[in-house]
Amino acid sequence: MDLETSLQLSFAGMSAQGTRLRVIAENLANAESTAQTPGGEPYRRQVVTFKSVLDKSMGATTVKVAHIEPGGGKFDRVYDPGNPGADAEGYVLKPNVNPLMELMDMHEAQRSYQANLDTITAAKTMISRTIDLLRS
Amino acid sequence: MVASVSTAAAAYATAGKMAAGAGGAASTGSSGTGFTDLLQQAAGDAMGALKTGETQSLAAVTGKADLTAVTEAVNNAEIALQAVLAVRDKVISAYQDISKLAI
Repeated sequence: MDLETSLQLSFAGMSAQGTRLRVIAENLANAESTAQTPGGEPYRRQVVTFKSVLDKSMGATTVKVAHIEPGGGKFDRVYDPGNPGADAEGYVLKPNVNPLMELMDMHEAQRSYQANLDTITAAKTMISRTIDLLRS
Repeated sequence: MVASVSTAAAAYATAGKMAAGAGGAASTGSSGTGFTDLLQQAAGDAMGALKTGETQSLAAVTGKADLTAVTEAVNNAEIALQAVLAVRDKVISAYQDISKLAI
């Protein structure tokens, strides 16, 4: 049934956005994680990409997390000679996490999750109203 | 909850057999068994949905399941149960209407 399929699709969307939020949380939590050895690399931000997958049992195109891959962007160099990750000149590389960008991403994930939730509510209302029709 | 659905399915089956028997020895209707089969299948589907819901809930309690997966399974079970209950109510009311017919 199409309504039940739309429920399944929306749940898939929700779980994909959940993964995205998890990665954003990882990025924000590690925004200050520097290298532990001199000259080592700090935390590199992760980026989620989605892909559409044809689910044959459903007969519809659902969404899945394609990859969680390292994102681009340069590391900041900060002078901090006391840090164990500092190089010979006393500079430490900071992660390429931009909190503002992560927050924007987070809002987008939130909105997308909400849209899927609304679709579920609509489909559920439609189904139960139809069942009510059968009942009355 | 699962037990009640299976007993309901058994009740439908016996009711269908009784109806087919009452319909006359000559025309033990294939339509009667067809309807019973339909009901049994619907009840079986609902039972499967309920079982999935319970399995997912159990997995959630032990911290192994995704929240969305649990919600999805429980949601599906709820919808299936609602549909089966509505059909059952309809069947019972139809049976009562027939039993009230003047002979």
